[in-house]
Amino acid sequence: MKKLYRFRRTGLIGSPFKILILNIIAWIIGILWITPFIGIFMTSIRPFREVVLYGWWSLSPFTFTLKNYIDALFNPMFSLGRGLLNSFIIAIPSTLIPITIAALTAYGFARFSLPIKKYLFATILFLMAVPQQMTIIPIFFLLKDLHLLNTYLGLILVHSSWGIPWITFFLRNYFSLLPAELEEAARVDGASDFQVFRIVVLPLAIPGLISAAVLQFAWVWNDFFFALMLIFDPNKMVVTQMLPRLKGQYQVDWGLLSSGSIIAMLAPLLIYGFFNKYYMRGFRGWAMKR
Amino acid sequence: MFMGDTYMVDVHLRGVVKRFGKTIALRGIDLDINDGEFVVLLGPSGCGKTTTLRIIAGLEKPTKGKVIFGNREVTYLPPRERNISMVFQSYAVWPHMTVYDNIAFPLKIKKVPKEEIDKRVKWAAELLQISELLNRYPHQLSGGQRQRVAVARAIVVEPQVLLMDEPLSNLDALLRVKMRSEIKKLQRRIKVTTIYVTHDQVEAMTMGDRIAVMSAGKIMQVGTPWEIYNKPANVFVAGFIGSPQMNFIDVTIEEAQDGINLISSDFTIKLPQEYISLLKDYVGKTMILGIRPEHMYPIGYVPASLQKKDKIKGIVDFVEALGSDTIIHLNTGSKIIVVKTSGTYRPKIGEELEIVIDLDKIHLFDKNTEKAII
Repeated sequence: MKKLYRFRRTGLIGSPFKILILNIIAWIIGILWITPFIGIFMTSIRPFREVVLYGWWSLSPFTFTLKNYIDALFNPMFSLGRGLLNSFIIAIPSTLIPITIAALTAYGFARFSLPIKKYLFATILFLMAVPQQMTIIPIFFLLKDLHLLNTYLGLILVHSSWGIPWITFFLRNYFSLLPAELEEAARVDGASDFQVFRIVVLPLAIPGLISAAVLQFAWVWNDFFFALMLIFDPNKMVVTQMLPRLKGQYQVDWGLLSSGSIIAMLAPLLIYGFFNKYYMRGFRGWAMKR
Repeated sequence: MFMGDTYMVDVHLRGVVKRFGKTIALRGIDLDINDGEFVVLLGPSGCGKTTTLRIIAGLEKPTKGKVIFGNREVTYLPPRERNISMVFQSYAVWPHMTVYDNIAFPLKIKKVPKEEIDKRVKWAAELLQISELLNRYPHQLSGGQRQRVAVARAIVVEPQVLLMDEPLSNLDALLRVKMRSEIKKLQRRIKVTTIYVTHDQVEAMTMGDRIAVMSAGKIMQVGTPWEIYNKPANVFVAGFIGSPQMNFIDVTIEEAQDGINLISSDFTIKLPQEYISLLKDYVGKTMILGIRPEHMYPIGYVPASLQKKDKIKGIVDFVEALGSDTIIHLNTGSKIIVVKTSGTYRPKIGEELEIVIDLDKIHLFDKNTEKAII
């Protein structure tokens, strides 16, 4: 009995050997994962010559410079700054619009009964599986007919409609996890359906809403394909479109490209960092202490 | 019309049936609740008591039947048009609002002026003794405090009908006893028609003006706690109320010279002559005899006031000493009969005992319909 107890205790968690092995594996995966990012970062803060001659990993000689960043941001030909601004103009409404619509849709799916609800929801799941490349030709012609090609509004609408299905799916699951009694209590106390949604459900779903918003924002920000197909005016191009233009026609300035990539990465990274607390809670589901 | 001076309303259920898909939750509920009355819906889990309450609240629509408040039919009205309040089993206190905002919510929704809201919230908080908690959030409260918030929120609007769905079942035993009497006192004070759901018979007996005992989607009996205990309408009610449970013994009815004999496989009990007319249809047939453990006495513990009595014999099989009471499991041959007696009495296991039965307190049920005859 005593032996068994000791065996179980050391076998599962306590064994230092096991902890060591697990740590080594975790570190290897972590390092493999982060190496490209370190490479890009190192390239971006050193003169191009140094990187080409010695490789980004060598630490001597090491010259620190912000020249790459300045060049990337204020490039007279392809302004990354303009690209960042355009990305914000596209990404913010493309996050808020689908979240608002999908939240209402998701609540309907989570709490109300309607005749073909099951099939509607299956359709939404199906829509999530459709690849962008399959839809781009009809989307292109649709926007053309609406005179929305090469406009912010056109791209915003495309991103919004692309976001609605998965956000609906995500939030429906989130709303279903909220205890129904909290909503019933409000209903008994005199709240209308919409009041229940606004005053009780939405505040309780904040972690879920923020998770969805962070993902959608990052998705729109990182999108290259839709922007490439639907925006041609250099003044309206988003940051992901500007980036490849930083590489010259005959020669690639890796320093410039790396710093541009880092700048482009910053926005979703900052947003993730800022909302990290909610974001994690959103995925775990709000563990309601009752 | 404010602070303790409520409108009251009587509640009527007429043939309420509720199906969930293929399962039938309620099989025709008829119930009349007078204004200001405290009625308890009592039954085992799954008997339909919560469904009944939710139909009264408007959270479920009945498949058939009517719900009437006063002279207004409300069957298909949404909850907010019914002027009711409800306390949920999980309290359903909103975690993102302070205690104050939780209690004020129903008033805000009804667009009551701000000063009035403030006055009423403070009144309700004082009544429930949570005035010092108004600025806290629910996660900073204990279960008992959260429960008080839920009750305060329910009474702050001065509802016509107050509904409570097992509000005490998540509290520990001590607190439950305390809240039991507090809720009852509160209800007396504000005189609101109250419908209270519980599976706890002690709660039902101590709190209810009347109790509706439910089983399998039907109301088995409606009556005062005294009636439910002393005049159970059928075997289910007789067995559900009382602890330890009533003893049930199959007996054959036989007419004797000067009365009626109840013959079981282990013993015969003799009833006096006046029972003949009541039982004449059952002579020669089998009935279910019901005797509560507390209506049987060992020799030496028989109250002097006992008039009609008979004795049975058995061997002590097991003894539970509870301190205030002693529960004796008596083996009469083929059956175990449970006897509840004074805590000072401690028979030994294996000892032969003679037990006196109070014949005024026995029950006889029809074997087929399980309805009470006596």
